Amino acid sequence: MTAAALPAAAAPAAPPRRIGNWLPSWPLIATKHLELRKRRGLMIALVLLTVAPTVLVLGLRLIFHAVAPATNGPAGSPDVFQALTNLMAEFGFLSAAALGASAGTTDLSEGMFRHLVITGRSRLALYLARIPAGLAIILPLVALTFAALCLVTSYAGAPQPTSVALNGVSVPEHFDQAELQNWLRQHPQQAASEFPLGPAPTTAEIDSAIGHNSAILYENYSSDEVADANPPINEMAKIGLWLELEVGIGFMVGLGLGSLTGQRTVTVIVLIGLEIIVTPILAAHVIPYFIDGQRLVVGVAMDQLRPAALAPGTGGGPGGPGRVLFGGRGALGIPPMPTWAMIAVIVGWIVGWSAIGAWRMMTRDA
Amino acid sequence: MHAVTRPPAPALMDHLAATAGPHSQPFGPGLILLVLLVIGGLSYGGMRLSARRDARRPSTRRRAAGPKGQPPPGAQPPAPAPGPRPAVPRPEGGWAVETHGLTKRFGTNVAVNDVELLVPRGSAFGYLGPNGAGKTTLIRTLLGLTRPDQGSMSLLGTPVPAQRRRALARVGAIVDEPRFHPHLTGPQTLRLLAAARGGDAARRIAPPLPRVGLADRAGDKVASYSMGMRQRLGVAACLLGDPELLILDEPMNGLDPAGMHEMRAMIESLRDEGRTVMLSSHLLDEIERTCDAVAIVDQGRVIRQGAIDELTRGAGTVVQVDCAEPDRAAKLIGAAGIAAGTTRSQAGLTVTLPAGASRELVADLNRRLVEAGIAVYGLQEIRTSLEDWFLSVTSRLGDQS
Repeated sequence: MTAAALPAAAAPAAPPRRIGNWLPSWPLIATKHLELRKRRGLMIALVLLTVAPTVLVLGLRLIFHAVAPATNGPAGSPDVFQALTNLMAEFGFLSAAALGASAGTTDLSEGMFRHLVITGRSRLALYLARIPAGLAIILPLVALTFAALCLVTSYAGAPQPTSVALNGVSVPEHFDQAELQNWLRQHPQQAASEFPLGPAPTTAEIDSAIGHNSAILYENYSSDEVADANPPINEMAKIGLWLELEVGIGFMVGLGLGSLTGQRTVTVIVLIGLEIIVTPILAAHVIPYFIDGQRLVVGVAMDQLRPAALAPGTGGGPGGPGRVLFGGRGALGIPPMPTWAMIAVIVGWIVGWSAIGAWRMMTRDA
Repeated sequence: MHAVTRPPAPALMDHLAATAGPHSQPFGPGLILLVLLVIGGLSYGGMRLSARRDARRPSTRRRAAGPKGQPPPGAQPPAPAPGPRPAVPRPEGGWAVETHGLTKRFGTNVAVNDVELLVPRGSAFGYLGPNGAGKTTLIRTLLGLTRPDQGSMSLLGTPVPAQRRRALARVGAIVDEPRFHPHLTGPQTLRLLAAARGGDAARRIAPPLPRVGLADRAGDKVASYSMGMRQRLGVAACLLGDPELLILDEPMNGLDPAGMHEMRAMIESLRDEGRTVMLSSHLLDEIERTCDAVAIVDQGRVIRQGAIDELTRGAGTVVQVDCAEPDRAAKLIGAAGIAAGTTRSQAGLTVTLPAGASRELVADLNRRLVEAGIAVYGLQEIRTSLEDWFLSVTSRLGDQS
């Protein structure tokens, strides 16, 4: 250490203009991103949870198929796509929650919080900077992994069927419920085989049977379609957006809860419990007199928003399958909720936990 | 890095007084809406409550403080300084740190107790007290890291917490043990703090590293830094804002003798640049060597403050007398009434002169002994150190380590 004087200046430094601004500056976001990115253990955990399972499964399937194509099918298939995407959603949520918990607690636990507060920067700005900084890590990870899955599914997958086998009747793909109803009415002889109408049903009888059973028919049709065919590009895009939303919620809740408790381990354990234990139970079973409470869980709302290709054979919203926002059909085992309520629950969780986390950060002793 | 213009140095003693629904229904939207409203309301309400609390604080301060920042009327002066609190003229540009009736409680424990503190600009000011005296709590309160329960304070003339952000833009501080993200390097840490500080701070990342002796370790992670290196990194972080005021909490902690020497030189150089350095410590010797002025704190109260020379002078002068008949000399001195006390020792006689005694009194003592026919072999004035004085005025002797 030397005692050399710093270069002299004529006047004391004026307070920086941005001090006190509650909006985080770009350098603040960038340095927080750097701080998170430099956590080697955390980054390895994120990669192991979000990227590794998909890359490992697809890589092995690609190798096996290349080595012995007769005994090993193509790497991409609708089943693999569904399984890996659902896995990515679960693990993505958990890894995002862990990242959020780290972003919300490490300044405090590592003694950096007081240094940051002493700078005079708005505590709200310090909190808000963590959001883009963390999302800029987890969202690209999930997007790249999902893109790899889509590429393998599309270009290294099984040959795609051009029709759906609906109880032995070959029906063209990509129909919605109305289109399927019209097609069946235009092909009464094929449609008649779907119903126990006797040896020579009339057109009116067939029309009536189609009308009465259209929901069940469409559910079977979409289920078979999903099971047999890769999702189209637009469906993949929806799934990708849904995945990013799931992961983003995990991060925001982890950040808010972490900032509230100041304890990373406690936060991660609570969110693992929520995602792995509480949400599956509440999404699958109706608890008498508590159905509205079940619907307040963000995982239940997100399950209803789950895109069709990830929820084959499940029921839809009150308007029927395919009527939920963004084409989600839900994977719920409980009666679904209106779209507006689903949105309210999701937004409420994001905004609510952010507000709680920011409030705690603004009022906490440093 | 800019050096601040040093204000006219006030004569310390001119400014420092010795003071101190049914489930079959598709959904129950009302319930969801209600819960969301409750959550939102609670969050908003909490923030409003906090804002109101903050808004109330200035008025509390206004009630507590007297006009023009003078101590509150009727406020009790800190013990053991008796009598009314003298009026302290405000220096040009105001004080670097000014507190009036500052109090911070943790439950029943009063960590900062009605603290009246005036730190002159451009000085090195020591905040001295034993462990647990409330030094760090005072600093945390000054910096807005925790809320005071009562009283007013300002940094560089800017009231805090009302204008905390503006005040802190010109303040650098190390509070408690300096801890940083262990996985980042020194420059990365400074980059993070510079981004939070904003303004020109990013341009000041490079200069402080060689100044604090960390240039060679710039590529290493903080996890590999020693305590002393982290102290230096803390100082470098302080310099990012080109501060007019540096508040250093126990800056000598963890430093080896060479490091302490360098830190002392650093503090002196900072003061020479016109910056005010306020440092807390329980190391009496370091405060005495480094600082111009000091405030002594014990059990949360400032019991004395002022220039070190003036304070130690007030403790009285001790004269070691080597003479032929110490017992008769003691009786003679006692009868003359010129000493506060006398004690026999192996070296002869130890005479304590009253506080504020001039050197003429030592000569008078010698003359009386000689006139009484007592052979005087030697007279040695023993300067009272800050430590002696500190031990004499604090209630927790020997607690410091």
